[in-house]
Amino acid sequence: MRRLPLETYVEGLRQGRREILSQAITLVESSREDDRLLAQALLEALLPLSTRAIRIGVTGAPGVGKSTLIEDLGSFWVARGYRVAVLAIDPSRGALGGLGLRSFEAALLCEAAGFDRVLIESVGVGQSESDVVDISDLCLYLLAAGEGGDEVQAMKRGLSERLDLVVISKADEARRAAAAQTRRRLRSVYAQGLKDCPPIVLFHSGSANASEGLALEIQALWQRSDRAGALEERRRRQHRVWMWREINDQLHRRFREHPEVQKRLAATEKAVEGQEQTPWKAAHALLAFYEARAERLDEG
Amino acid sequence: MSSQIPDFRTLAFEAPVSAARRRRKPAPQAEGKGETLGDAPGFPPYRRGPYLTMYTTRPWTLRQYAGFGSVEESNAFYKQALAEGQRGLSVAFDLPTHLGYDSDHPRALGDVGQAGVAIDTLEDMQQLFADIPLDRVSVSMTMNGAALPILALFVAAAESRGLSRAALSGTLQNDILKEFMVRNTFVYPPAPSMRIVGDIMRYCARAMPKFHALSISGYHMHEAGATPELELAYTLADGLEYVRKGLEVGLAIDEFAPRLSFFWAIGMDFYLEVAKLRAARVMWAELMSAFAPRDPRSSMLRAHCQTSGFSLSAQDPFNNIIRTCIEAVAAVQGQTQSLHTNAFDEALALPSDFSARIARSTQHLLQHETYMTRVIDPWGGSFFMEALTDALRQRARVHLDEIEALGGMTRALATGLPKARIEEAALRTQAEFDSQERIKVGVNRYPMRQEIAFPLRSLDAQANRERQVQKLQAWRSQRDEEAVRKALDALRQAAEREGEALVEPCIEAARCGATLGEMSGTLEEVFGRHRPEAKVTSMGTYREQRASEVRFQGLLERVERFAQHEGRRPRILVAKLGLDGHDRGQKVVASSFADLGFDVDLGPLFQSAEEVAMQAIDNDVHVVGVNSLSAGHRVLVPRLCEALRAQGRSDIRVVVGGVVPPQEQELLRSAGVAAIFGSGTDILDAAATILDLLESSDEGSEGE
Repeated sequence: MRRLPLETYVEGLRQGRREILSQAITLVESSREDDRLLAQALLEALLPLSTRAIRIGVTGAPGVGKSTLIEDLGSFWVARGYRVAVLAIDPSRGALGGLGLRSFEAALLCEAAGFDRVLIESVGVGQSESDVVDISDLCLYLLAAGEGGDEVQAMKRGLSERLDLVVISKADEARRAAAAQTRRRLRSVYAQGLKDCPPIVLFHSGSANASEGLALEIQALWQRSDRAGALEERRRRQHRVWMWREINDQLHRRFREHPEVQKRLAATEKAVEGQEQTPWKAAHALLAFYEARAERLDEG
Repeated sequence: MSSQIPDFRTLAFEAPVSAARRRRKPAPQAEGKGETLGDAPGFPPYRRGPYLTMYTTRPWTLRQYAGFGSVEESNAFYKQALAEGQRGLSVAFDLPTHLGYDSDHPRALGDVGQAGVAIDTLEDMQQLFADIPLDRVSVSMTMNGAALPILALFVAAAESRGLSRAALSGTLQNDILKEFMVRNTFVYPPAPSMRIVGDIMRYCARAMPKFHALSISGYHMHEAGATPELELAYTLADGLEYVRKGLEVGLAIDEFAPRLSFFWAIGMDFYLEVAKLRAARVMWAELMSAFAPRDPRSSMLRAHCQTSGFSLSAQDPFNNIIRTCIEAVAAVQGQTQSLHTNAFDEALALPSDFSARIARSTQHLLQHETYMTRVIDPWGGSFFMEALTDALRQRARVHLDEIEALGGMTRALATGLPKARIEEAALRTQAEFDSQERIKVGVNRYPMRQEIAFPLRSLDAQANRERQVQKLQAWRSQRDEEAVRKALDALRQAAEREGEALVEPCIEAARCGATLGEMSGTLEEVFGRHRPEAKVTSMGTYREQRASEVRFQGLLERVERFAQHEGRRPRILVAKLGLDGHDRGQKVVASSFADLGFDVDLGPLFQSAEEVAMQAIDNDVHVVGVNSLSAGHRVLVPRLCEALRAQGRSDIRVVVGGVVPPQEQELLRSAGVAAIFGSGTDILDAAATILDLLESSDEGSEGE
């Protein structure tokens, strides 16, 4: 497909043109080598980003109401003149484990294009949640009103410590009691741990008040974080983390695609499965081939 | 000698009637022939027919569904049909009317007068029935989402001609549950919609005793892909919900149940469709016994049938005459109370006078030239048919129980289960046709070398809209605005109070001159408009059926190669333009293309051309596939191409799939459409063509 010249992307993004932004996102998500080079050139041209955009990650189990919340919150902001972008991280797309890799770049592009609220939605399964945390300035976790101990307990380690805000969705009039119960459970889970319980907000779709309340809470959290310098630190960390993700992804890929490894991979896996060889030995053997060392490890 | 040979015709005529008189108790069971061999027609559970004498004293009603364009054209069509022996009228409204929009609403663009007649004002309704004696002709109106304003306009129109509402006979479809399930012509969310249904039920039971407030429909489920057992189960489940609603609004069971009617599709699975009608009657009688009715008519399932639209082909369309006839025979042998037979060109356009006549004649032939009306339930006692009826009952029962276990159909719909099952069935059917496991003559077997051209009815979309807009302006200028405003306020206040009756205030508003859009809009202010979620379920179903085929594997590989070369998967937006809510095609394409490895975006329903363009550009898709059944594409697809061009993205391809008559294909191509896929196109062919398009544009740019 046609690629635009670098200047067209840069200029188009500066002007906030939607149709250029979407093509730029395609560019950064592309797996072609020449596209990646162009994408990196584009991103370099845009750095440093000095926008005041808020990046909000939205996580939670499937079915809990993320899309609805994003739509309500997004519409609320749009009505007040903000430019809102929504990115969805979909693990079924993308190669290897690095599914979230490009999401970071996509979020940067949205900011460069002048969007002042970027909502990043995880599909709610596995790795995509930690991806979201690593991109966002603020991370929201959604629970549905009435969800009990299991779901609350299941908030993964590592995730629960990095949430900024918990939102209890579907907390309409009829479910007030259930929502309160969920909130109690949540607080007790945190009380057992080391970290303070983040603020908890009740939300339900279709209520202008709820959207406003949530938006204000987000705004307040962001400002607090900014003033305390925490936001800046978080942003620095994000860039660092994404460098390491890229390194991981590349190493993994190069290992896999190495001809010597490829030759032996299927047989090695079989040997390991059949317990003819220990996993440790198999791994180091393959790595040795990858590193093209002549020495072999002794048997036994 | 000859005088001793019994006259066959007399025998056939007399025997069933005298047999019915003789049998007051069930005959002893015969092994394996079903429980109720001894049933008689006219006795519960009505397996053999709801009435004692069935067609022998009165044949089924010939009731052809029609309506298009202007009220004048429709009125002329109705009068012609009545003159040619049709006994009841059945009105088809256009999509804006179904969705509560006046013809001048921006979203109505492209759809005014296309799928049916446009009704905006009282004047329209009066003209629709000009010179038609509404006290003697029964009128069936297929209307669900905007049932309230349409009923109001109908009553107001009749009264303006001096008729009392109690004299009016007919049916209002008013079956909102199936709208949420398959048809998508709803306006308000489920709860207020059910409130309206209950309100209309109560009103008709008390004030319009000859009017059926509900036609509980399975037809549309069939069209969406449901198998006969799903259609049967889900329709009866809907029926149960409505019975509960009637009781909830304070009616006694016998006050409304006798006037519930049902509406089935009849497809090409001949024996199964006959069995379905029989099984339905038995199941309904059983279900109704739980409500302890005293009136026997409360347990009697009476049905209207329509021959299957889905079974029609756009290719080799004269075959459709035969298909329709076979389906009509099944309906008759299943003992329907009224019948609509499709015209042979309906896979391409609205029926012409020529094809509509043949459709009517089909029923005339059955009524007058065969002896089918002399016989009651010819299949009674057949080992095969009784066993089939019972087997179908059992299977439908499982599905019905599943719905009831979820708390009834309203709750079940919220889970998405019925929709998911129907979509899955639709995908399997598509795969079966595509792989030739199932045959469609003239389409995937014995195709014609040269299609025969014949005249099709074509409607001028722009002219329809312009005419209606002018009428609306004239209407508004001559009415008492103050009276309208007051009446609409009263309607709004009634809507705001839970449990308050809505029909009377609506009739008052109609009488004062409020338009359909104004009445519906007032209710919308209180209830909101329902926005369905765009979601594909049933992934993997298509692949399951075809994965073993070489061609399928080949396409999978081709898509992979494209992804490697391009840097991402081919991405397609499967869009619905305009007010057409039929999403079977859209869902089938989305799911099967996803199975082939495409990245699929499913567009929401009821989008304007500009909205579709925006979604396409935002997602940077390679191609937009527009699915169209209602001819709205004539106006909207060129607008889509234009919108894409205006934003500098004419490189995004547009393809159209569905019902596109030959004369319109040229129009679309010159507007920029890259490919057109008629109904019956194999999914794999469509995917291959699209890949060809994407790869060829690729080459073009490489060369620059």
